[in-house]
Amino acid sequence: MVGELTWRKRILGLWLPLVAFVVVALFPFTWMAATSLKTNAELYDPKAMPLAIKHPSLVHYIDLLTETNFLIWVANTMLVAVIATGISLLLGSMLAYPLARMRFRGGALLAIAVAVTYLIPQTLLFVPMSDLIGRMRLGNTLTAVMLTYPTLLVPFIAWLLMGYFKTVPKELEEQAMIDGASRWRAMTRIILPLCAPGFLSAGIFAFTLSQNEFLYALLFLSKSSVRTVPIGVVGELIRGDAFYWGQLMAGALLGSIPVALIYSFFVKYYVAGLTAGAVKG
Amino acid sequence: MAMPAKSKATRRDFLKLAAAGAAGVAAGPWVSRNAQAKPVSITFARESAYVKKFDEHFQKVMAPAYEKATGIKIEYQIQAAGGSAPVQLVAMVENKAGADVAWTQQEWLYRDALVDVSDIAEAVGKEQGGWYDEIKRYSMDKGKWKSVPMGNIGQLMNYRKDWFDEVGVKKFPETWDEFLEAGIKLKAKGHPFGMSMGHGFADNYSWLYPLLWSYGVTVMDKDGKKVALDTSETAKAVDYVRKLYKEACIEDCVGWLDPANNKAFLTSQISCTNNAYSIMVSAKRDLPEMGKVIDHGLNPKGPNGQRYHALVPVTHGVFTYSKDVQAAKDFLRWTMDPKQYRPWIASGDMYFAPYLHGFDKVPEWDIEPRVKPFQKVLETGKITSWPAPANRQHGEVVNRWIVIDMFSKACTGTPTKAAIAEAVAQLKTIYG
Amino acid sequence: MAPAHRPYRLGRLGALMERESVFSWLMLTPPVLFLLAFLGYPFFYGVYLSFYRREVASVASFVGLGNFVTLSNDPIFWQAVRNTIIFTGVATVLKASGGLAMALVMNQNFRMKAVTRAMLLLPFIVPTVLSTVAWQWILDPGMGLFNRLLVVSGLANPGPSWLGTPTMAMISIIMVNTWRGLPFFGISILAGLQTIPVDLHESATIDGAGTWGRFRYVTLPSLLPVIFIVTVFSIVITFFDFQLVYVLTGGGPANSTHLMATYAYSLSMGAGQLGLGSAVALSMVPVLGLLLVGLTLYVRKD
Repeated sequence: MVGELTWRKRILGLWLPLVAFVVVALFPFTWMAATSLKTNAELYDPKAMPLAIKHPSLVHYIDLLTETNFLIWVANTMLVAVIATGISLLLGSMLAYPLARMRFRGGALLAIAVAVTYLIPQTLLFVPMSDLIGRMRLGNTLTAVMLTYPTLLVPFIAWLLMGYFKTVPKELEEQAMIDGASRWRAMTRIILPLCAPGFLSAGIFAFTLSQNEFLYALLFLSKSSVRTVPIGVVGELIRGDAFYWGQLMAGALLGSIPVALIYSFFVKYYVAGLTAGAVKG
Repeated sequence: MAMPAKSKATRRDFLKLAAAGAAGVAAGPWVSRNAQAKPVSITFARESAYVKKFDEHFQKVMAPAYEKATGIKIEYQIQAAGGSAPVQLVAMVENKAGADVAWTQQEWLYRDALVDVSDIAEAVGKEQGGWYDEIKRYSMDKGKWKSVPMGNIGQLMNYRKDWFDEVGVKKFPETWDEFLEAGIKLKAKGHPFGMSMGHGFADNYSWLYPLLWSYGVTVMDKDGKKVALDTSETAKAVDYVRKLYKEACIEDCVGWLDPANNKAFLTSQISCTNNAYSIMVSAKRDLPEMGKVIDHGLNPKGPNGQRYHALVPVTHGVFTYSKDVQAAKDFLRWTMDPKQYRPWIASGDMYFAPYLHGFDKVPEWDIEPRVKPFQKVLETGKITSWPAPANRQHGEVVNRWIVIDMFSKACTGTPTKAAIAEAVAQLKTIYG
Repeated sequence: MAPAHRPYRLGRLGALMERESVFSWLMLTPPVLFLLAFLGYPFFYGVYLSFYRREVASVASFVGLGNFVTLSNDPIFWQAVRNTIIFTGVATVLKASGGLAMALVMNQNFRMKAVTRAMLLLPFIVPTVLSTVAWQWILDPGMGLFNRLLVVSGLANPGPSWLGTPTMAMISIIMVNTWRGLPFFGISILAGLQTIPVDLHESATIDGAGTWGRFRYVTLPSLLPVIFIVTVFSIVITFFDFQLVYVLTGGGPANSTHLMATYAYSLSMGAGQLGLGSAVALSMVPVLGLLLVGLTLYVRKD
C-alpha cells in the first residue's frame, strides 16, 4: 500500500479488521469442533458454555469412522469431484476456446446461449433429470452424478476460461501458424499452456461446487455405499427426529479437511486465475 | 431394483432363465409363478428406523432367513431420514424403476402405482385379531388395500414430571384449558412449553389436528368435497392456540422443524412437547437424571369432551413396475407372518405399534411402562385427513402446511378471521 | 512430436480443418452435444411440464397457461417471490460490501497471509448442508452461541428467537448466506486489487490524492468490472438457493422464509404437482432476468 504506515494505521487498517473477519469466518467451526469433541451429556447441558469442553472425548470420531461408511463417502466425493471437474474443464475449454478466439458464423449466438444457461435453476431440472438418469439405468451409480455435475459447472467454467483465453494475444497464434504449425498444435502447445492458472482456478472452483452438491446426489444416490459426504452424513446421522449432532459435526470437519488442504495449496493460483479471467473478461 | 445379483449363475442357469423368461413372456401374466424363473433378488426400501436395532434385526435375522428359505436375496435399502425418502419414492414411481417393496411414505401421491395387496392384508387381519378401522382410511383406496400397515409411530405429550410436580400439577392435564393453566405456571418458573408449529411433518400435526378435532372441527367433510374449516369453533381453537403460544410457550417454537423440540427438551429449555418417544430414549442414554423424570401423557380433551391423536402410519407396498410382483408380494406376506412380524416389532422396542388388535395386550408393552401409553394412541388415533379420504389433495394440504400455517400465522400477528379465511381459500383451490 | 517451426504438411482434410469455422465447430460439437443432451433435454422437458397438469404417477393433461394463472392467484407464491428478492438483494449487498472490505484489508502485507486466506475461505468450502446444521445450534435461543454471548455480555436477556419470528428468520437466513458467500467475493475482489498497476496509485499520489481519493478514483473504477461480474454470478446462485432454507427453516415460520426454489420443490415433491412445481421454477427465470437487467442498467448509468 502506498503511503505512510504508522503503528495506529496498521492496527486499525489491518489487524483489527483482519481479526474480525477471521473470527466471523471461523466461529462456527470452533463450535463444530467443540461439539464433535463433547459427549452428548455435555452438549445438552444447559449450564455449559458452548465452546468450553469439560471432558473431551473422541467417541464421535470413533463412531463415525467405525460405524458408518464415512470414509467410503469421502472417497466417493473426491472421486466424483475429480472426474466431474476433469470432464467440465475439458468440455468447458472446448466450448470457450472457439468462442473466445475464433470468428465464425453463429459464434455470437452460441456465446449468448451459453450465458443464458446460467439462468436455469436446478429446481426446474431435477424432475426431468431424474427421468433421464432413470432411463439410462444409472440410478445409484456414481456415474449418474459424474455426468450431471458438469451440467452445473460447464457454463460457468466456459465463461471463466473465455475471459482467460481472450487475454492471450492473437499474434502469438498467427506467428506460430506462419511458422508452419497447425491450428491444433498452436492451441495445444502455445496458447493453452499460457492459460494454466486459469485452468487451475476454474478447476478448484468446480471441485468445490462438486463436493458441495446436494440435490442430485439426494435423488440419484440412495445406497449407502455410493453416497457422497453431504447426503451420507445428513442421511445416516439422522434417525427419525434425532440428530447425531456430535457425529454430524465430526463428519463436517473431517469432510472439509481434504478440500481445505487442496485450497491452501492452490489458492495463489486460484487468485491469479480469477484476476486475468475476470478483469480482462 | 430386481436385478440379478453378483453372479453365481452358471451358464446352464442362465440358459434356464432365458428359456423360462421367453416362455413367461409368451404366456403372459396368467402363468403361475412356478413356470417363471424366480428373481434372484428383491429390493426393499425403508427410511432408517429411529431404533437402530430394528434395521439390524431385519438385516441380520430376517433377510438371511428369507434367503435360506426361498433362495431370494433381499437388498435392504435404508433411505435417509429428514425428508429425502418421499423424494426418492416419487422418483422411483416416475422412472418406473427402483425398489420392489418399500415403506410407501406419501402413498397418497401414487396409489395407482401400487399393487393391490388386499389378499395379504385380509389374511393378516384375520389371523391377528383384525385391523383398527381407522388405518383402512389410509391403506385402502376404492375398496382395495394398496399397502399393508406395519405399525404406527405414536406421538404423545412428552413432559418433565418433576417440573409439573413442582407447580402442583400431579396428574397430566385432562383438558386443553388445564393444559394452558399448567403451561402458564410453568412458564412463570422458566420452564415453558415448546409446541412445534413450523414446517415439520409430525410434531406439529400430532397436536394441532387433534386439538382442532377436539373443538368439534374437521378440515373437510367426510366425503372430502366440502371445506368444513370455516366455523366459529375453529376461531375458538385458533384463539386458544394463540393464547397458549403467548402465555405458555417458548417464542422459538412457531418455527420448529421436527428435530428442534427434541433439542429444546434435552437442553432443559422446555417442560412439555408433543413427540414420539425418541426424547425419552435419548435422555435415558445421554442424560440419565433427566431420563428418570420424563413421562408421556395423552392429548388433552377438548370442549366436545373427546381426546384425539394423530396417526403416523408406516405401511409397506409393492410397486406395479416391479419385475416379479408375485415374488414381492410373497415376501411382504412373509414379513407380516407372526413368526417374523412379532420379533421384528419387538426388536424396535415397540416404536412401531401394530395396527392389529392381536397386539393390544401383548407383554412387550410392559417392558418399559412409559411406552405403554403409545398403544393407547391407537384407540383415539385418526389419520390426519379424518373424516375425509386420505387422497392426493389431502397430501398436498399436509405438505404445504395449509392448516399448520393458519395457526402459526395467528400466533405471529395475523387476526383470527384472516388466518382462517386464507386457509379456507387455499383449501378450496386445492380441492377444486 | 514435430516442433512448431518445421513446415507441417497438410492433406486436403487437414486444410479443411484449418479453416476457422470448421475448426471451431468441430471443437464445439462434443460440449454442445453434451449440454443439449443433459441440460437442453431436461430444460425443455421442464418447460413442457409447466404447461401441463401433471400429478405424480398420472397422465399429463395440457393446461396451457393454467399453472401460471393458478400461481398468480396464490398468495404463497407471491410471498416466495418477495422473499427471494429480498433475500437475494440484501445478502448480495452485504456480501459485496463485506467482500470489498475483506479484500482491501487482505491487500496489505503481513505474515501468515496464505494461511489467513485459506482460513477465510473455509465457510465457502465446507458443504453447505453441514455448516447449516451447525447454524441450527448456533441460533438456538437458549443454548446457541449468539444468545449465550448476548446474555453473558449483558446486552440482552434472553436473546432473540432467531428462527421463531418471520422477521428474525429472514434475517437469520440472510446472515447465514452472507457468512457463506462473503469469502467468495473477498478473494475474487482481492485478485482484482492485485492487478491494479502500482504506477496508477503513484501518479494519483503525486497529483495530491489522499488515501480516500486514491480509493475513489483509482481503486474503485479499476475494480468495477470484477465486482460486477462476481456480483452477477453470486446473484444467480443466491437467487436459486435451496439447501440453506431447506435445512434451516423448511420455509417457515408461516412461509416467511419460503424461497421460489423451496416452494417449487415442495409443490413437486410434497404436493406431487410436477407441472405446478415446474411452473414455479420456470418463473424464476424472468424474475431473475429483470433483476439482472436492472442491475446492468444501474451500472451502465455511471
